[in-house]
Amino acid sequence: MSRILVTGMGVVSAIGSNVAENRQSLINGICGITRLEGFQSRFAGLMPFGEIKKNNSGLAAKYNLTKPGITRPCLLGLMAMKEMLDDAGLDEKILRSRSTAFINATTVGGMCLTDELYHDANAADTGSPYLGAYDNADTTLFLREYFGIGGVVNSINTACSSSANAIAFGAALIKTGRADRVIAGGVDCLAKFTINGFNSLHILSNELCRPFDESRKGLNLGEAAAYVVLESEDVAQNKKSYATLTGYCNANDAFHPSSLSDTGVGPYNAMHGALQKASLSPGDIGYINAHGTGTENNDLVESVAMQRLFENQPAFSSTKGNTGHTLGAAGSLESIFSILCLTNQEIYPALQFENKIPETGLIPNREYRKYVIEHVMTNSFGFGGNCTSLIFSRS
Amino acid sequence: MLYIHHTSCISPQKTYGGEALSFDKNSVDGKLLSIEPDYSGIPINILRRMGKAVRMGVGAALPLLKPGQPNGIIFGTAIGGMEDCIKFLNQIVQYEEGMLTPGNFVQSTPNAVASQIGLMTKNTGYNITHVHRGLAFEMALLDAMMMCEEKPDAEWLVGGVDEISAYNYNIERLGGWYKTADASSENLFTSATPGSIAGEGAAMFRVSGKGTNAIAAIEAVETIHTKEIIELSDRWKEFLDLHFGKESPELIISGDNGDSRIVPFYKAIQETTPAGADILRFKQFSGEFPTATGFALWLAVSINKLNSLPDSAFISRRGIASYRNAVIYNNYKGEQHSFILVQLP
Repeated sequence: MSRILVTGMGVVSAIGSNVAENRQSLINGICGITRLEGFQSRFAGLMPFGEIKKNNSGLAAKYNLTKPGITRPCLLGLMAMKEMLDDAGLDEKILRSRSTAFINATTVGGMCLTDELYHDANAADTGSPYLGAYDNADTTLFLREYFGIGGVVNSINTACSSSANAIAFGAALIKTGRADRVIAGGVDCLAKFTINGFNSLHILSNELCRPFDESRKGLNLGEAAAYVVLESEDVAQNKKSYATLTGYCNANDAFHPSSLSDTGVGPYNAMHGALQKASLSPGDIGYINAHGTGTENNDLVESVAMQRLFENQPAFSSTKGNTGHTLGAAGSLESIFSILCLTNQEIYPALQFENKIPETGLIPNREYRKYVIEHVMTNSFGFGGNCTSLIFSRS
Repeated sequence: MLYIHHTSCISPQKTYGGEALSFDKNSVDGKLLSIEPDYSGIPINILRRMGKAVRMGVGAALPLLKPGQPNGIIFGTAIGGMEDCIKFLNQIVQYEEGMLTPGNFVQSTPNAVASQIGLMTKNTGYNITHVHRGLAFEMALLDAMMMCEEKPDAEWLVGGVDEISAYNYNIERLGGWYKTADASSENLFTSATPGSIAGEGAAMFRVSGKGTNAIAAIEAVETIHTKEIIELSDRWKEFLDLHFGKESPELIISGDNGDSRIVPFYKAIQETTPAGADILRFKQFSGEFPTATGFALWLAVSINKLNSLPDSAFISRRGIASYRNAVIYNNYKGEQHSFILVQLP
């Protein structure tokens, strides 16, 4: 069976506009979680957000986009995809091929335009330019058309594990011969809708989030776009590759619509299933980029599930202390961060951590260091119990 | 190959449960609303909190879960619980981001249907929601096909659902996707105006990679993104050549929605099909919605038992006693196309 290689990456997040900037910020322990400036919200001064400090008109001008109705996720997605395509050396002809697929993930989509959506859902007479832009497929269709992608195109929403599942679905397309290469990832933007949604569940922190810390108070929302190119080894041939996607597993916690079970049934099964898929043992994993949102429930349950699975806890941390929780983009964003650990043989400091959770006593990696890693795992757990783990290995 | 073993469908027509099937309900004010069952399988306190999309999805799924747990739940929906979504949005705006209740927010996420089924039935397997607008259901089918190729013995619950809420109806109406003066299922194909009529429904299928006792098989699911009729015709010819050679499919199930802007695509498909296929249209029964191909697949799987289908639903009908195959062609908003090839025993 031909291996699945990662041959390109592109990213924009609150800690950088490309892969290199993101890596530097991770190395230097930069936190991109700040005061919200991009839109009006009652919560702007009350809690911090992992906002990308680029406004929509500037981005649209950068890409000469004059058509009305183009939303922020389209613009951020475009930015990350351009970097990725250059990186992987994919030209127009390859993109147009029916063997090039595009699997995109988002949970917010055009609903980042909360006020416009409110108007259009209730208006009697005329709509806004964004009438067609609110669903989760709009960004995908925009990017497909922009790049002229010719193969299977899909949009996935499994809440906060969406883009991890986009990568897994892409892998299945390659394994079953339905694609030679897949552009997979996700994008999500800050929105009044999600800010109020997560706030109503009392899981937003008014301080910087503290993943895996005893006194964690909740998560900070963030925004990002992150894409990878997966290529079958047969077509990639001698191209440079960053990593091999060896394991992926999607499992459901089946416990509660918005919190995880005490023993972490879903998280355990996802991590365990990914190891099985990769034919690896727990001891082979050198680093885990944990879901680690900074909520009381997630970090405890994820710790419990890791301890059940790993006899010796591998090095781990959550990069949400740097970027905030980027929802549908988190899976692909953190896949890229995990791949950076692998390719550079290094791990990054967990931010805002002081004291371990007493029940589990786990301490995330707290400083930048060179580190020998053969296999990394990245976890993404979402509402509705949607849990997915991915494993990347050295090429 | 994906084999279908059981199916269940909640739609604007009588298609659910053991009752006699019928296809005589017409639209009211340009909408075809689902005939919802009493959902006796859903505990009342849970049912009360469910939005319509979640309710229809779970309601259609439950009968298919009786044979035991499937290995996973694979779902397609373009918008999921839109009503809850906008209810929450209205709260945000009206209460100026004040104290809000999370119920609507949690129910509004498109993955709420598949995850609710997982939660209610304690299904800890694969659970995914495809949201690719007019191809969301097709992507669920494709996902299931890949799962079946990998693990032929495993069983999967595959389905699609979308609802008409006041809000998404309004957004689509403002977008020009519904007929105005003459919106009705009776003259859907004769009005020659832009737009269609609104529909909704849930269709669920229990599938596996094994053909024993199957009621139908899906041989191919092909999806295309194009706004060009020529490109569509070329892909259709290629699809028929590959799967039928010089023969014709026995039945084409056409997603024609009476929208004068989209009808030329359906005409092109008709003109490039070798003579001999019966052609059946279905959106006068289901209305137009992004996952209407779920209804079309239910129709294809059930076709040889449906004595109540009126002749008028067929553009051409040769009176075949029992179809052996059918191809569904659907076009969503002139941009997303699918061919689904169904083999019947």
